[in-house]
Amino acid sequence: MSTVQDFTGYKPTWCPGCGNWGIGMALKTAFVEMGLNPSSVLLSFGIGCSGNMNDFVNGYAMHGLHGRAIATAIGMKLANHKLPVCAIVGDGDCYGEGGNHFLHACRGNHDIKVIIHDNRVYGLTTGQVAPTAEKGQVSKSTPSGIIEVPVDPIALAITQGATFVAQTFAGDIKHMTETIQKAFKHTGFAVVNVLQPCVTFEKKSTYQYYMKHIYKLDTNYDAANKIAALEKAFEIGEEKFPLGVIYESNRKAYHQEAVADDAISLINQPPFQDFDALAEEFL
Amino acid sequence: MQYTWKIGGEAGFGIMTTGLLFSKIAVRRGYDIFDFVEYPSLIRGGHNAYEVVVSDEPVTALKKEIDVLVCLNKETFDLHKHRLAPQAKIIFDPEVFTPEGDIIPIPVPFTAILQELAGQVIMKNTIALGASLAVMGADLTELNSIFAKQFAKKGEAVISLNQQFAQKGFDAVVQENKTHIVSIVGEKEHEKKLVLNGNEAFSYGAVVADCKFYCAYPMTPASSVLTTLAAWGKKTSMVVRHAEDEIAVINSALGASFAGARSAVGSSGGGFALMVEAISMSGITELPIVIFLSQRPGPATGMPTWTEQGDLMFAVHAGHGEFPKIVLAPGDHSEMIELTMKAFDLADIYQVPVIVMSDMLLSEVHMSISYDKTQTLIKKHTPNRGKLITSADETYLRYAVTEDGVSPRLVPGESRTFYQTNSYEHLENGHTTESDVERIKQVDKRARKVKTYLANHFLPPIVVGDIEKAITVFVGWGSTKGVASEAVKKAKGMGKEIAYIHFTHLFPLDKTAIQKVFSDATKKYILVENNSEGQLGKLLQMETGIAFEHTLLRYDGRALVVEQLLEKI
Repeated sequence: MSTVQDFTGYKPTWCPGCGNWGIGMALKTAFVEMGLNPSSVLLSFGIGCSGNMNDFVNGYAMHGLHGRAIATAIGMKLANHKLPVCAIVGDGDCYGEGGNHFLHACRGNHDIKVIIHDNRVYGLTTGQVAPTAEKGQVSKSTPSGIIEVPVDPIALAITQGATFVAQTFAGDIKHMTETIQKAFKHTGFAVVNVLQPCVTFEKKSTYQYYMKHIYKLDTNYDAANKIAALEKAFEIGEEKFPLGVIYESNRKAYHQEAVADDAISLINQPPFQDFDALAEEFL
Repeated sequence: MQYTWKIGGEAGFGIMTTGLLFSKIAVRRGYDIFDFVEYPSLIRGGHNAYEVVVSDEPVTALKKEIDVLVCLNKETFDLHKHRLAPQAKIIFDPEVFTPEGDIIPIPVPFTAILQELAGQVIMKNTIALGASLAVMGADLTELNSIFAKQFAKKGEAVISLNQQFAQKGFDAVVQENKTHIVSIVGEKEHEKKLVLNGNEAFSYGAVVADCKFYCAYPMTPASSVLTTLAAWGKKTSMVVRHAEDEIAVINSALGASFAGARSAVGSSGGGFALMVEAISMSGITELPIVIFLSQRPGPATGMPTWTEQGDLMFAVHAGHGEFPKIVLAPGDHSEMIELTMKAFDLADIYQVPVIVMSDMLLSEVHMSISYDKTQTLIKKHTPNRGKLITSADETYLRYAVTEDGVSPRLVPGESRTFYQTNSYEHLENGHTTESDVERIKQVDKRARKVKTYLANHFLPPIVVGDIEKAITVFVGWGSTKGVASEAVKKAKGMGKEIAYIHFTHLFPLDKTAIQKVFSDATKKYILVENNSEGQLGKLLQMETGIAFEHTLLRYDGRALVVEQLLEKI
């Protein structure tokens, strides 16, 4: 049995009060409660304050390129589908630079868990708007306010074919821990959008703001109802943020159709040897 | 003997299939072939042509004159008549047009046959094949057996119908034009040979190398690697993924490589350009990856279906920052198989990106290569995964500083430890660092791989011809080998000795070894490349100080021809 300490790496460099502290703790707690240990999980980190978690959470990890953590995680899963794969990314990472990968990973239903740090701002580059920033948000890169409307992460994931879409809040470690575990129990592309205050660069979306605007989904909420789920997603327009599993459905995961033998991971498949059979095509 | 058969017609009507069948039949009858397809960047409409040089010895380039031209439309004759040999045989439909000039007309009633057998337009190809085989002195044995195999699932009726069309074309020649039959592909004693193109050679090499994961986004002329490997996927168990873009392609492949799978990607210049940031990541994370780069004329979208060697300097310099990388360039299909297998080994041994360069010409021409030699070579091959390990304890350091620059690489999953691979500069254990001391340690460690490679795996250029006797020496790389080798042969036939220096291991380069090759100042070295800037020349000057006074550069999108080289002697 592992402990949170086993998953604890170097001392974080995050700002005091940053939502990342809570997310990091929830992730490690979820891992422990699921019976994982740092040798039994593959992690793919993007670039940003979220990606910096690579040094603070132990595991077999790759700290890749900005925007590409999902693409990298897909390769990991296909090479070794026996291990759980988790991508830890930011909003700029996932919905901006890597938007295309996110969209197509939803379609592909790759069995990876994506934990998105949605703080509406670029922290590591010191405070420019993220794709989730509200229209009009003033930042260093948008001194007159951002012209675009924000990405709607939940609606985007649902409409593009993700089979598990959840939202949680960085101020509620218990809810985050439970939600992450649900995502890991799901086979398929699991999106966990974490509403996260940035105490340094984003003055509107504070802990106090979210405490007023979040609410937990009812126990009788039906996550299988796609239309109802979209209605929940659209509540973002009214500054209402439902927490919990908003949408869940079942479809074969990508590796279940792409890897020849479900019982053997790709890296352990015996080498192909029947070269004469291939040569027949060239006669 | 070299004899050129060419067929042309409207794009989208099966010219490519027909040309390949002709090549395979010639090889089955004991001949060697070199073939080339011309097509515009369109799916339908426009003109397609396929030409096959048939020879009684190995052949590696096209020949200037066409000996038999099959015209499925009038445009074919108009477009290619300037290349006709005197008394070239023209197969045509008298109901469509009548060719004129110093030719031998061989009318074949395509339209009438189609009407008689109630066939679709595409069956013109089958009639053309029957007629062509007749003209060249062959029978229909091989073609009939190919039909029997190809249409086995569709049943006897389909097989028989195809055979009837071929027979009608064949009979039209034998009955009406018997005097024009030449025995070009009459059967002869021969060894078994494979007919494949460069992309198939890469694909074959990748399977032999036990590549487990191939990821690509379609881009001419690299796309057929993706489709070939995908078609083999059920047999080989390779996971072949068509991803959303080339950035996803290479990042997925690096994720798979991290998890322990041999991985490769492929594209042409534009797609390769999108991969460049991740090539740099392969450099610092020290993750093996093989990148197949089939060049076409750029910049940007350029001329998608034509040929050029315009990306050598780009490949050599691809990626920001300083890190080791290996660039290989095969010159023919046997070299492609061999160097592809080597590329996967080098990627694993040095934990670096390895780029295998091709171009439209090499990717798409078919050549005949020895079956036995090829199969022996591949069966002898055992993948070498270098310092890949599957077990380690808690003291394991992913980026341990070593004398040869290569650190043991652990497949994730070992239960006694864990580590991170990091695109940031890192400590030996993989954690991010900004320390000056640690930075220098890691930069130097990575750089030492170059020395280790040059001492152990670099190969100096190959010499074709007798360089001792030759005064004129051509220097090139990649697909140029074909035309240059043919020039060496032809020059010898004319009583002149020339030689060709062929580079396959293009980067990094061993200065001393290369300077030795160019040590004779009495020789006239001519740089020959399919580009406008003489990129190999620039690379050699940069890395070895060797400069070229004489160049032969072609950059109109077309392949170099033997005559261009012979004119330079």
